[in-house]
Amino acid sequence: MSGVLGRIRSGLFKRGTGILLGQTALVYLFLYIPIVVLVTLSFNDSRYAIVWQGFTTEWYAALLSGETVARVDPNAAWAALSNSVEIAAASVIISTVFGTMLAFALDRYEFPGKRLFTGVVFMPIIIPSIVMGISLLLFFNIVGMQLSIRTAVIGHVAFGISFVAVVVAARLQNFDRTLEEAAMDLGANELETFRYVTLPVIKPGVLAGALLAFAMSFDDYVVTFFIIGQENTLPIYFFGMVRQGISPGVNVIAALIVVSTMVLVGIAQWFQGPTW
Amino acid sequence: MGRDTKRSASGIDAALVRRLRRNQYTGAVVNLAPSAFWLGVFFLAPLAVMFLFSFGQRGAFGEVLLAPENLGLQQYREFFIPDDRSLIGGLWVTIAWAIEAIVPFELSLTSGQATPYVRLLFKSIGYGVVATVVSLVVGYPMAYYLGHLAPERYQNLLVVLVILPFWASFLVRIYAIQLLLSANSVLMNALAVLPGIGADVSLMNSRFAVLLGLVYIWIPFMILPVYASIEEIDFTYREAAMDLGADRLEAFVHVVFPLSKPGVMAGSVLVFIPSAGAYVIPELLGGTDSQMIGNLIADQFGSAGNWPLGAAASFVLMGVMLLSIAAYQRGGGELA
Repeated sequence: MSGVLGRIRSGLFKRGTGILLGQTALVYLFLYIPIVVLVTLSFNDSRYAIVWQGFTTEWYAALLSGETVARVDPNAAWAALSNSVEIAAASVIISTVFGTMLAFALDRYEFPGKRLFTGVVFMPIIIPSIVMGISLLLFFNIVGMQLSIRTAVIGHVAFGISFVAVVVAARLQNFDRTLEEAAMDLGANELETFRYVTLPVIKPGVLAGALLAFAMSFDDYVVTFFIIGQENTLPIYFFGMVRQGISPGVNVIAALIVVSTMVLVGIAQWFQGPTW
Repeated sequence: MGRDTKRSASGIDAALVRRLRRNQYTGAVVNLAPSAFWLGVFFLAPLAVMFLFSFGQRGAFGEVLLAPENLGLQQYREFFIPDDRSLIGGLWVTIAWAIEAIVPFELSLTSGQATPYVRLLFKSIGYGVVATVVSLVVGYPMAYYLGHLAPERYQNLLVVLVILPFWASFLVRIYAIQLLLSANSVLMNALAVLPGIGADVSLMNSRFAVLLGLVYIWIPFMILPVYASIEEIDFTYREAAMDLGADRLEAFVHVVFPLSKPGVMAGSVLVFIPSAGAYVIPELLGGTDSQMIGNLIADQFGSAGNWPLGAAASFVLMGVMLLSIAAYQRGGGELA
């Protein structure tokens, strides 16, 4: 009995590579089939968006010419997109500068309460976004700040700093500090050393951190929903559309979002090597 | 005269600057100040406000009463202790109920039931655990292939293919799942080949849909850390084990898997925490029976209108997450 089992087992392991390759392929299918189906259905010639009726680009044409398709108004989507870009750009600039400085402080200096402080830096990444969003809402209410795009930027910076700091700190760990000492010995001051020695070395880390902060901001629905007031961002607009059900218009918007972000990120990864 | 004072003033400035530059804390303070300010004011202060609210009471019109005589543990009590019970009795009912729910055999320790909030909390933790286990079982073999077996030329490409969906829009990917699980979709038509399933069946608004969504969104967070730790393994250890008489399974169980444990633990925390705290996924894919604690929190601050209870539920949820991180660190894991 055990002999038979043993033979089956060793047979399995002998074909192990093949089995693992097959399993890997299945996971890739799992990850990509929904996206492929989504993009395909955006070309579906049917008002009822789910059953395939034939190929058409009429939804794209209609939306791009500014026509409303099944409640999806392209002008509202554009406005939401421009808000999203504005918020993401502003919060990325602030959180990249602050987060990089923070990573430096955590890498270079010992100070009392450092462990606790590091814990606080990780918290915005860890706590549920719903808690972060609602607590910011309560706070803005209490201090009497009008909810707007500005409050959304404030909230996004609060988690962006943490993402940037974690990514940059990882890079700094491998940084050879004798390079800085050499620059200082040759007469550079702190700022010059940073500008001409440190920054060029850690630049990939800073860029990766900024990219991550941008994606997190651009993609965020939950935190933004609570702290932006009456304004829309693309995720908030999209969520509202999805709530009303599947429709050709939503399919087109979704396909455009997913294809454009994946192409952009794919290009970034191509130049940077795998980054996460 | 005027020139003299000017020179001495700049001399003092220079001396001050030199002293500041020598001081060991200057660099730390300058670099920390902006982030410490931002996180203090726009992250910790809001949490402190919420923490205070969790000790408050709801007024007759849904307002929050925070006067000293209203402050207390009543919201936590409402969360954990069933109505008609004392503190001890309520705790016992909750624990007994939890044991009954966890053990695989029939056991009746109590006739009572935990509060709906506790049941929801358990359900959320359960979803988190199932999503984590499924991600591990599905993701580990793939990470092993990517980290050890994949041809080196394609390794980067294959890893990028795992990363890409993670960067692509979260909501859009949830919507894509919705397209697959709705009635008459491609997937349902394919499944209709099986006996007993019609193409007009919808898998949406179910526990299955929520779990599938959780795994679909978070599985890259399992694959990537496991891949990273498998890639670092020196596989000559495995050969050594096999030279010493271990068969392939033993070599895996006793050598390779323990060496990949840091990645497994990191991946588990990274999948469990966002899964247990999910809000959007059950909101969009779940039905009335598959809501999670995140939805309860949103409801309390929205339609149900009991802010203090929502605040208390938030801190209970964060407590669960801190516990899971503590468990992770005890197991030797490091943050980042």
